[in-house]
Amino acid sequence: MRFALLLLALLITPLAQASSESSWTQEFESGYISTQPLIVEDTIFVRISGFWTGEERPIVAAFEVQTGKEMWSYTSQTSLQHDMAPLLFVEGGSGTCGTWNDLLLVGWTDGKVTAHSTTNGSIVWQNQTEVELLGITGKMAYEEDRVIVPTRTGLSSFCLADGTELLDVDTGNIGWRNGVTITERGYVYGDEIGYLHQVNRNGIVLSTYIGEGKIRHAPLDTRHGLFVHLQTSQGSTLFLNGSNIGNMGASPAMPLFHNDRIYAATSDEWISISCDAQSCSVDSIEPFHSNGELALRIVDSNVEVWAPSNTPNGGWGVFNQTSLVRYEATTFDTYGTAAPGFDSGIIALGNDAGILSVRYQAAAESSSESSDIDAVGLLHYLSILLLFLLTCSSFAIKNWQQFAKIGSAFLLVAAIAVVPELSVKLAEQTASEQSVEWDASWPDEWKGTQVIVFEIDGKEHVIGGLEPQDTVYELTELACESLDITTEVEQQYLGAYLISFNGSVGDGWEFTIDGNWAPIGMEDAQLNVDSIVEWRPV
Amino acid sequence: MGLLNAALFAVAIWLLVKPQQKSETWLWPLFLFVGLASVSRIAMSFIPNLMPVTIMAVMIGSKFGVQRGISFAILVTLASNAVLGHGWWSLFQIIGWASVAAVASVVKVHDVDGNLSMNRLAFASLWSVPIFSIIVSISILDSGMSMIEFGLYIANGLLYDVLHFLGNVFFAMWFGQWFERLLSMNQPQDRLVQQENEHVSTF
Repeated sequence: MRFALLLLALLITPLAQASSESSWTQEFESGYISTQPLIVEDTIFVRISGFWTGEERPIVAAFEVQTGKEMWSYTSQTSLQHDMAPLLFVEGGSGTCGTWNDLLLVGWTDGKVTAHSTTNGSIVWQNQTEVELLGITGKMAYEEDRVIVPTRTGLSSFCLADGTELLDVDTGNIGWRNGVTITERGYVYGDEIGYLHQVNRNGIVLSTYIGEGKIRHAPLDTRHGLFVHLQTSQGSTLFLNGSNIGNMGASPAMPLFHNDRIYAATSDEWISISCDAQSCSVDSIEPFHSNGELALRIVDSNVEVWAPSNTPNGGWGVFNQTSLVRYEATTFDTYGTAAPGFDSGIIALGNDAGILSVRYQAAAESSSESSDIDAVGLLHYLSILLLFLLTCSSFAIKNWQQFAKIGSAFLLVAAIAVVPELSVKLAEQTASEQSVEWDASWPDEWKGTQVIVFEIDGKEHVIGGLEPQDTVYELTELACESLDITTEVEQQYLGAYLISFNGSVGDGWEFTIDGNWAPIGMEDAQLNVDSIVEWRPV
Repeated sequence: MGLLNAALFAVAIWLLVKPQQKSETWLWPLFLFVGLASVSRIAMSFIPNLMPVTIMAVMIGSKFGVQRGISFAILVTLASNAVLGHGWWSLFQIIGWASVAAVASVVKVHDVDGNLSMNRLAFASLWSVPIFSIIVSISILDSGMSMIEFGLYIANGLLYDVLHFLGNVFFAMWFGQWFERLLSMNQPQDRLVQQENEHVSTF
C-alpha cells in the first residue's frame, strides 16, 4: 500500500508543479528598459536607464526568476542616463590574467565598465573608457579571457579576471549603440559617419567607408562578408560586403543572423534576407515598426523572431522566417525597443514604461498545435494514473481476471510513455563509430562545416558551409531551403518523419551521420559542427 | 511494387479457394477478421509497434490452420499498407505474420475441444514477438551491413519489442474472447452456447 501511495505521489507531483506556475511583474520608476533582460539559470538581470531628463539614476538589478524577488540592485550615481549598452553575462573561468567567477558586465554612458558579482551585485572590478559627451552605448562581446568594449571613440579590451586594459584603440570617430562583433581576424564595429573599423588583435586598425550614414549595431559576420544596416538621412540601406542590397525605411533596428537568414527592421518594415551559396537578397518584407533589438527564439525547431513594436500601442511582433505570425501583448504596452529575454519556458519582456513582465512559456504559448499536444500528453498521463489506481483496486479485491485486464492496459500505456525516450538513449549508447570519406569535388571551404547530401531520383545534391545546426531535422530544412528542394514532413507520434524530397516518396528515406546509420528520428539525431549527413532512399 | 502486390493478392485468393481438410466454416469470419485487423492497424499506427494483427494472426493460425493464416497475413498487410504505405517491408511483414500464424497452427492456443486457452494466448503474446520482429528486421539487411550492425539494430529494437508484447497481452486480455466468438460465428448456436457455458478463464 505504501508503495502504491509513493508511486501515486510521484505521478501527481509534476502535475502539481505545472499548475503552480505563474507570472510576475516589476515596475521601475527610474526610467526605460531599453535592453534585453538576461535570464541566467534562476536569475533575471535587467538594466534601466534614467528618463534622460530629471534626477532618476540608472539601475542594474537582479531578480529570482520564479518569485520576482529582488536579489540585488546597483545604482550608478555618475552615469548620464542614456544607458543602452546591453548587459553581458560571462561564465566563470581562467586565463592569462587569472581566474574569475561568473560576472555581469555593464557598460555605462559615463564611460565606465563595471564587472559585477552575479550573486550580490558587488563590483569585482571597473575601468574607464573615453568619454566625449557620452561613453559606452554599444553591445560588448567577450573572447576567451577578455571583454571587448566598443567605446565612444574606439574600442578597448579588458581582462575578465581583474579589469586590466589589454587593448585601447581610438579612431576619433563618435559611436552610438556601436556594438562590436568578433570575427576570425579580430573585432569589427561601426561609427556615426559610416565607417566600419576592423581591429586586428594586435591593435592594427583598418577602416572602411561604407556610405554616408550611421552604423548603430554590431555588424553581422556572414559567409558572404559583413552585413551592415546603415541609417541614412533618407531611410536606411542594407550593405553586404560593401555592396548595396536594398534600400529600406528609417531608424533601423539591430539585425540578427541565424540559419543563413538575416532579420532586420525599420520604422516601416520587418525584413527577412535569405542567403544562398552565392549571396544574400531580400526575401520577404512585412509592414512593421521596430527600431531596437530583435530576438530569436526556437520553439519545437521553429524559428521565432521577436520584434518590439516601437509605437504608442507597443507589444511585440512574432515572425517566422518570412512573415508575421502573431502579436504578443501585455497589459502595460507602450513604446519599446528592448528584445525579450528567453530561457526554456520563460519570457521576460521590458519596455519604455520601465515595466518588466516575466511569464512562463505555458501561459505565453498560443499555438494551437502545441496545446493539442499538451492535451494529449495530459490525457495520456491521467490514463496511466487512472489505470494504476484501478489495477491496485483489482489487486486489493483479488479479482484476478480484472487485474489481468486492467494491469495489461496499465503496463501498455506506461510503456508507450517511456519506450520512445528510452529507445533514443539506448540507441545513442550503442551507435557504432564509422568514418565517411570526404568527397574531393567538394569545396575546401566546406571543411570543418556541416555538409549534407541528398540522393534524389539518382541525382546527388550537396551543400556545405551552412550555419551549424543542432539536429538532422534543422540541417535538412535549412539545406533544402538553400538548394530549393521541397520537403514533405509529417509530425508523427515519434516526432517529425520525412515523407518526400521534391515529391519523391519512394520506399521511404533514411539518413546517416558521418556514415553511421542512426536508429533514431531526425529531430533527435544530434550533429557536430563538422558532421556529414547523407539522405538516401530506402 | 504493384506487380508484387498483385501476385501476393493472387496467392492469398488461391490459398482461400484451395480445398482444406478442415470442415469448419471460415470464409466470413476470416474476411471479418481481415477487415477488423486492417482498420485497427491503421487506427493504431500512430503508436509505435502496437499491432493487433499479431494476436489475430495467432488465433487464425490456431483456429483455421496455416493455409488460412498465410492468406490472412497477405490480405491484412496489403489492405492496411494501402493506407500506411507499401514498400519492400510489406513482403517481410507478410512473411512475419504468416510465420506467426504457421507456428500458431502447431503451438495452438485452442485446447483439444477447440476452446480458447487464455494461458496459451498469453504465452503466444510472447513467442510471436521475436518471430515477427526478426523476420521484419531482415528487410533492412543489405550488402553493406555487418552482422554486428544487424545485432545492434535488433538490440535497439528490443524496447519496441517489449511494447509489441505488452500490446499483444492487452489485446489478448481485452479482446481474446470476443475475437474467438467472431471466429466461431458460423458454428451451430447450440455448440456456441455449450462453449460459453464451459468457458472458464484460466488466466
